[in-house]
Amino acid sequence: MSPVVAHSPALSKLSQSRWPHRLAAALLGLTFPLIWIGSLVTTTQAGMAVPDWPNTYGYNLFLYPWQTWLWGPWDLLIEHGHRLLASAVGLLTIALAVALFCLDGRRWIRWLGIVAVVGVIGQGVLGGMRVLLDDRTLAKLHGCAGPAFFALCVALWVCTSMWWTNAKRRPTTGGLERLTLITALLSYVQLVLGAQVRHIALGARPDVFQMLVVMHLALALVLLAHVTVLVVRTVHHRRDQPALVRPAMLLGVLMTVQVGLGLATWVVKYGSPAWLADWGWAAGYTVAADSMLQAMTVTAHVATGSLILAVALVLALRCWRLADWGRQAAVAGSATLLGVTT
Amino acid sequence: MMKANSSWFWARCGLSGTLLGMLLLGLTGCGEAPPARFRLNMVEMVSSEMSRDQQIGIANVLTAAFGTPDEPFAMAEAELDLKKLKAAAGAVASDQLGNEVGLYRRHCAHCHGISGDGAGPTAAFLNPYPRDYRQGVYKFKSTERVARPTRDDLRRVLVEGVPGTAMPSFRLLPDHQLDALIEYVIYLSMRGELEQRLVAETFDLDEGERIDQLPEVAEITKEVVAEIGEKWAQASDLVINPDADLAPPTDRSPAELAVSIAAGRELFHGERAACVKCHGTTALGDGETTDFDDWNKRLFKLSESKPDLDLAELGALPVRTIRPRNLRQGIYRGGRRPLDIYRRIHAGINGSPMPGSAKASPDAAVGLAAEEIWNLVDYVQSLPFDSLSLPPEQLVAPKRERL
Ligand code: HEC
Ligand code: HEC
Repeated sequence: MSPVVAHSPALSKLSQSRWPHRLAAALLGLTFPLIWIGSLVTTTQAGMAVPDWPNTYGYNLFLYPWQTWLWGPWDLLIEHGHRLLASAVGLLTIALAVALFCLDGRRWIRWLGIVAVVGVIGQGVLGGMRVLLDDRTLAKLHGCAGPAFFALCVALWVCTSMWWTNAKRRPTTGGLERLTLITALLSYVQLVLGAQVRHIALGARPDVFQMLVVMHLALALVLLAHVTVLVVRTVHHRRDQPALVRPAMLLGVLMTVQVGLGLATWVVKYGSPAWLADWGWAAGYTVAADSMLQAMTVTAHVATGSLILAVALVLALRCWRLADWGRQAAVAGSATLLGVTT
Repeated sequence: MMKANSSWFWARCGLSGTLLGMLLLGLTGCGEAPPARFRLNMVEMVSSEMSRDQQIGIANVLTAAFGTPDEPFAMAEAELDLKKLKAAAGAVASDQLGNEVGLYRRHCAHCHGISGDGAGPTAAFLNPYPRDYRQGVYKFKSTERVARPTRDDLRRVLVEGVPGTAMPSFRLLPDHQLDALIEYVIYLSMRGELEQRLVAETFDLDEGERIDQLPEVAEITKEVVAEIGEKWAQASDLVINPDADLAPPTDRSPAELAVSIAAGRELFHGERAACVKCHGTTALGDGETTDFDDWNKRLFKLSESKPDLDLAELGALPVRTIRPRNLRQGIYRGGRRPLDIYRRIHAGINGSPMPGSAKASPDAAVGLAAEEIWNLVDYVQSLPFDSLSLPPEQLVAPKRERL
């Protein structure tokens, strides 16, 4: 197993090990469920179901009796499960970093692997501190750092792919690349805003929550506009690149689903707005606290948020990979959509 | 064009970066009040012009009588079950056996507020606002208008929720958790009422005197808490139980029912019951739509007498009007059994403008007799199936007016 030392842009297909990419894919596959479960911990307020950390009720995390865990109360099932899955993600991250170190010649990506390890450990400690101090602020930070780590995994997955190695640069369109980056950035800001709404301090004034909700809604509209333009532009400029068109389309679909989930989240938590009171269904609708429907809708909204960030990042990374900033694409017949030139 | 494009790009980058930075700063908690503290009823304090010093005095007595959100306490006079209170109070946590504590903060506080003031962080968008428990006033109950609800009434609200409002149904919670929550709601109510009474007591003191420094403060507190506890204890004696002989028989013929409905319609539109005044001739809830419930009326009056007052600063929500119910939907927030609707019409809806219609005593001159209330129950129950006999343009309910 000789490490590939030569760093050449034309790294040949044969000399590039597929293992880092496979490990990164596995990491993604584990991290997304981890985000679901982590979000479920918040939704069902199971965060304090295990009062100690890193132990579980005095047991080593991995030695906690599995019967008590699986057949125990729901809160314990979720919280301990979250910890177990998180440990698996941690171990896999270390494996990926090692694989990158041995098998990938690019220095920056090796560093990225190390950042991921530091990140996953930091996130674990943050989660632990959140439990030990029973602190909502730390819970919020932990909730915001999760998607950031997921995004890092996505970056590792994209940059270790064959597509990345073999990509041929082409004249930049300028606008498209920047738009992808902005969209990814905005979708993260939206996640952080969402976390503020979700983890509102019980002592906060009602107008603070009101302002946060309005901001979250406003940014949703802004994002919707960005994604719409993004889809149009990608199809317009990069029709021949399925690696871009596919994530762009997926982003459009996810965004639509997400808006629906967001509205549904409000309704399953706070009921239908009073201005619908004359509508039969709304007049008789009663929120069912702690129902499966409520927990799943809210959790799905959170998880889809992370997915949107991930897909937007895939698109951004690939777009920038293709862009040859020395050359400007001749934009034939550019159109204007929502005030943005495509 | 490229230039313009890229500066627009950097502007957006900068903007979202700044927003992110601000949010992260906000994350670290600046401006967040510590959650686990009871807030004083500042509306009461300001309307009665309590000085800061007097407020501290009142807060001290309250803490002595009822403890804190983490360490609740109840004087013997309150007749509350401390074990239940402890399960409902405190921070959210659970153990290996699934025993949960912090139930109130887990399930209720984000709407009803830590102090039970109905102004939790999520309250502002909700219509109606979550209940402010501190006056001991509840809407959907089986007792006479001004009486407290029974524990069973509160349980009904928790289990069924309040349809068409944000108040959820907690039917998935186990019984003992509901018990603990009910006890805690009563606890917050009593505490809030004591606070109001202490304000009144302080108001009568001499300049500079503080209630917690009076030598007889312990006696006063005991006496007042006993009075408040008494009201709750009496609730089950004040349940409205209509005379069974006057209730309509269950085996009525359609013709008999039709007669009763016709009598109810007469009353509904007539002078004596005057239901149309609020619910409108169409019963769509489009009559009197500019009135307030008791909580908002209080705020409205305060803001009229002190126009420069910032209500939000006092922890109060913006003043809002109440809309009479659209009776053609067949949705009853206080229960849909004929008996529930009977009680609603008999006593009205406490805290809302809807008045009680029953005679104060069987031979009182004003008010409706039991038979008449049953007629109204029949009419109300027939409304969802009754086709409107008015021209369609009158059927559209008006937009809710907001202040
Ligand atoms: C999503 C917000 C929300 C949550 C959570 C919530 N409530 Fe409510 N609650 C309301 C609203 C809104 C009302 C007012 C309904 C009305 O006026 O018709 C209300 C009313 C009530 C009432 C008064 C009913 C009456 O007859 O006047 C009680 C008691 C009550 N809630 C108890 C609770 C308890 C206990 C919990 C927690 C287990 C809880 N609520 C959780 C929003 C909420
Ligand atoms: C002063 C105005 C007013 C008058 C008069 C009035 N109502 Fe109401 N009524 C209301 C309001 C306001 C509500 C909604 C209260 C709430 O939900 O807070 C209401 C609600 C109701 C409800 C719904 C109860 C539930 O459980 O959801 C019924 C039934 C009802 N009224 C019947 C009547 C009848 C019958 C009369 C005549 C005897 C009447 N009302 C007179 C204002 C009025």
